[in-house]
Amino acid sequence: MTDGIAKVGRSVPRVDGRVKVAGAAQFVGDMVVPGMVHGKVLRSPVPHALIKNIDSSQAEALPGVIAVLTGQDVLDIDAYYGHSIKDRPLVAIDTVRFVGEPVAAVAAEDLVTAHEALSLIDVQYEELPTVATLDEALAEDAIQLHEAASLRAGLFHGLGELKPEGNVCYHHAFERGDVSAVFDEANVVVEGEYTFPAVYQYAMEPHTVIAQHDMDSVTVWATCQHPFLVRAELADLFGLVASNVRVIVPYLGGGFGSKSYTKMEPITVALARKAGRPVRIANRVDEAMVTTRRHNMKCWMRTAASADGSLLGREVRLWLDTGAYADNGPRVVATAADAAPGPYRWQGVKVDAWGIYTNTPPAGSYRAFGAAHLTWIGESQVDEIARHAGLDRVEMRSKNLLRPGEEVRPGGKPLDADLISDIEKLARTLDWDEPKTEGVGRGLGVGLLAAGAHPVSSAIVRLEADGVATLSVSTTEMGQGARTVFSQLVAQELGLPMEQVKVLGGDTQVTPYDRSTGASRSTTLAGTAVQHAAQDVREQLLSAATQALDVPLQALSLHDGAVWHGDEMLSYPELFRRYFGLAGGELIGQGRVQPESGQGSYAEGPVFWEVCIGGAEVEVDRDTGRIRVRKLASVADVGQAINPMLVEAQEMGGTMQGLGNALFEEMLFSDGQLLNSTLLDYHVPSMEDMPDAFFSVLAENEDGPGPFGAKGVGEGSLAGVPAAIVNALGDLGIHVDELPLTPERVWRAMQAGEKEKSA
Amino acid sequence: MSDERPRMPLSLRVNGQSIEAVIEPRTMLLDFLRDGLGLTGAKRSCDVQVCGACTVLLDGMPVSACCTLAYEARDRSVLTIEGMLQNGTLHPLQEAFLEHTAVQCGFCTSGMVLATKSLLDANVALSREEIKHYLSGNLCRCTGYWNILEAVESALKSNQESASG
Amino acid sequence: MMLGVFEIHEPQTVNEASALLAEHGEAATVYAGGTELLLLMKEGLVHYPHLINIKTIPDLDQISPDNDALRIGPLVTHWQLEHHKLVQEQASLLAEVASMIANVRVRAVGTLGGNLCFAEPHSDPATLLLAWEATLDLTSANGRRELAIDEFILDMLTTAREHDEILTGITLPLLPPHSGGGYEKFATHERPSATVAAIVQRHNGMTSEARIAVGSVGAVPVRMPEAEAILRDEMPDDAAFEAAADAVSQAVDPIDDLYGSIEYKRNIARVLTIRALTTAAERAAGNKQ
Repeated sequence: MTDGIAKVGRSVPRVDGRVKVAGAAQFVGDMVVPGMVHGKVLRSPVPHALIKNIDSSQAEALPGVIAVLTGQDVLDIDAYYGHSIKDRPLVAIDTVRFVGEPVAAVAAEDLVTAHEALSLIDVQYEELPTVATLDEALAEDAIQLHEAASLRAGLFHGLGELKPEGNVCYHHAFERGDVSAVFDEANVVVEGEYTFPAVYQYAMEPHTVIAQHDMDSVTVWATCQHPFLVRAELADLFGLVASNVRVIVPYLGGGFGSKSYTKMEPITVALARKAGRPVRIANRVDEAMVTTRRHNMKCWMRTAASADGSLLGREVRLWLDTGAYADNGPRVVATAADAAPGPYRWQGVKVDAWGIYTNTPPAGSYRAFGAAHLTWIGESQVDEIARHAGLDRVEMRSKNLLRPGEEVRPGGKPLDADLISDIEKLARTLDWDEPKTEGVGRGLGVGLLAAGAHPVSSAIVRLEADGVATLSVSTTEMGQGARTVFSQLVAQELGLPMEQVKVLGGDTQVTPYDRSTGASRSTTLAGTAVQHAAQDVREQLLSAATQALDVPLQALSLHDGAVWHGDEMLSYPELFRRYFGLAGGELIGQGRVQPESGQGSYAEGPVFWEVCIGGAEVEVDRDTGRIRVRKLASVADVGQAINPMLVEAQEMGGTMQGLGNALFEEMLFSDGQLLNSTLLDYHVPSMEDMPDAFFSVLAENEDGPGPFGAKGVGEGSLAGVPAAIVNALGDLGIHVDELPLTPERVWRAMQAGEKEKSA
Repeated sequence: MSDERPRMPLSLRVNGQSIEAVIEPRTMLLDFLRDGLGLTGAKRSCDVQVCGACTVLLDGMPVSACCTLAYEARDRSVLTIEGMLQNGTLHPLQEAFLEHTAVQCGFCTSGMVLATKSLLDANVALSREEIKHYLSGNLCRCTGYWNILEAVESALKSNQESASG
Repeated sequence: MMLGVFEIHEPQTVNEASALLAEHGEAATVYAGGTELLLLMKEGLVHYPHLINIKTIPDLDQISPDNDALRIGPLVTHWQLEHHKLVQEQASLLAEVASMIANVRVRAVGTLGGNLCFAEPHSDPATLLLAWEATLDLTSANGRRELAIDEFILDMLTTAREHDEILTGITLPLLPPHSGGGYEKFATHERPSATVAAIVQRHNGMTSEARIAVGSVGAVPVRMPEAEAILRDEMPDDAAFEAAADAVSQAVDPIDDLYGSIEYKRNIARVLTIRALTTAAERAAGNKQ
């Protein structure tokens, strides 16, 4: 048995696998709190209106109804929240700004009664003019959704000074070199306008919250990725000390950004406060869709190059539709701006990115935001320049890609990945140099995603006298496998079998501070904290063992749950008995990650650059425009895979979401009204949409800032895939400037191409 | 609140156990299982019988519990994920899901396992394309399906081997 | 999504069901598989305080031979159609189409009769049975009548079924020798954007009879007589199929919706027509029965 020696780098089974295949894993919707009642939310049917009156008397009179919450019930608190901009009331107070905005909420003994009560609430609206699209919101005479003066910075924007103006909620720009001179002198300039759709994350578990409000404390069980940020916002909203707000997070049925920051928690707490009972609110899918979504975008980009294919300059203007409230819009704007130049060396680059308010549901985080928006656009222009220059597209990239250590954007962290070897791996996987059969197109895309978010994480490891280590860490387990990877790290450092490591679920009253679960940060940042905590215990163990065995520290090793001195071993329980003098006691280790200097976070650039690489081989049905994906590949530049199987699995999931974003997914609005609000009309990829061949390639150069040289993955594939598919179409002579690539859109692009040819 | 609502008796078998209950005719099977019996393995997601997270087997056939009246289960037999466990031991199919890392967040898993169980019970040899078609009504947002397909294929294969051997 | 309050009635005979429908009028509706009805009721788009469950009536779920036809009970599920030996042997295209409907859970409980009576514009069976010239039996306490599919489906979600009538049987004439059928479905969502059913009979190498129905693009499935006439007494070759397909793309009356624009649906109807005809003609050539 070598068990106990190397845990890191091995594809050990998921620690939460058994409970999940048995259907016994608890999600918030599976939990019942004593005395709990059921909440439903009444949502606005109109995109923009003043609320003239709400009459809830009939609803309140319905037997079984416990409380009806409206804006009038939150006038005693500062009811506005938003981690970047405090622009959003937890329930509409005087104005509604999108179809689906919560206007009231009912708590009742059962869900049926709550539902019936909704229909008894009479709301009188005075409709206002709407700005339902980016163009409408940007028009000169556009009405303004928010009074700029009323907008205050949220608790966690981390983006310097926010200066909302008109319907612009955030503007982010940077420039380097003399861009116009570069374009004036360039031999080749490629220019285009592009459109990216609103997309629904579809975490299969919709947002669900149970809230309990006591005298001066609040407890919530919530589907949230960032329990400590939710805690802070709830404390701020309800005027409580943060430590009196307890956020408990069981397993999450997928997150993908949809459960980042604060979502349904405030309204549930406010309803519980009014009801005086614990309340559960569970979104339906149509409600989840209007709770958060991916930003739709329009973008203008031009790229300059010399005749031999050397990239010279790039200029980008992009407008992201953040909907009626900012949510994570400002961060998405900044990250999109960061992704806009792409991973290339420029003599001149200029990027302007705006987040725009419209009368549509708020847009926030969705896996690979920014990079998913921009990579396909930049990469399609790089392909076009390669065609001009007569260069193979892999060669084109090898010629122009940044090398490790080069600057990515002004003032940010330099590149920490070997992109050229990554795309060579991809090219080999796709048999890039092999001849293609007629009608087959190949494409690839390379991008960078600013990853990691604010680097603050902590962890505690307790090793007890039974030889079991319990890890406290507030990372949310939402499918990515954090608990498994952390268990491996602890097992590795303490020489324990995997079965002797337990990981607690996030609970702000019990598990220590972690900034968030997202931005591909957990293995890298929380993982480092976990490793340090385990190392702390390891040192204590060794020190205890030197006393117990009376041997020098250097002569000891830890494995198989025991301290070894040559062939002599002392199991941890036995060591504890000798050290503490009884069958008890424990060793406690702590670990922490914090910014190296200054503001940390954004000002100094990302914790690491996540590599976004995708490759595709496609065929197109010329009659219908339907794309068949023959091969799909991604490269996970992971530094060091702690668990290769989990990395591959997460990558494949990201790849498939990338396929959905590229081919199918689009929330369709008409005057702010969502037209496809169920999965009957919003197509999420199914097993039949799988590519014929699916490759997830790992690049392990141990160049990440995390444990054993690890760095985050899981988002890059999503951003790389649309670029790869767009470029595979380009390889077939089909040029597109709008996602998703529905058959009709591809068919139209082919028709337009034919017309151009014959003209 | 509730006195005027019509009620009806319901007797059925759930995971091999006889159950007698009184329900409203409009009670959905998913609510009956989750709220009435505390069997929370079946999940509510799309609620329009597209995603398959609420899949249970009714007399061996997969149904969407979110859109099936509990009334339809009268005098019939329901299998939920909780019934897959025999004396605390996982079914070989569940072991196959574990072995192939076919689980991530776990929210689709119960439905995916039960849909596959109905395929397993039919005991017919299927091509990869046929398996994909059969399971195309069970969505998963985490895995990209590849590992699920591998798990299902391996479970079907060992099932057929044990059936023929 | 929550259902309103209702009662379930369990008639034992068709007459009893018809009488219940008559008695409760607009407050009652027929309940069979429930796959469409319960969705609409959950959405709150319709509500019926009385569901008349016709699944308690014996023998409406049978498939039996009837001279040169198959007699299919209205409660036969898509799953049964897909797997029934008689259907697989004598009307394999129907089994094929049944296997394409929605997903396995819907097929397990959704019934052919329910599908037809709902007249959902994206129905697969309605389009196929229209080309197939199946007939429907409607029965009430007042008697029985027989309707063709196009007499039955009047508009989106609207049929000629009287409120107290029950669809009691579907008669599917077996295809004569040298016949074959093809069905093409184009879907980007859960429900199809366009479907085409084609049935072709050949005589001495020529097309002696052709029937084409196009579904999903508009409010109801529609037969394509001009296109059928183009094919008749001609060689079943690509040129003929293209000409017929062009006629189809002109004749269809698509709705512009999130399944596609009018122009695109015309194109898809054309493409699917060629493909369905090609399959049908090939099968007709191979079918010596």
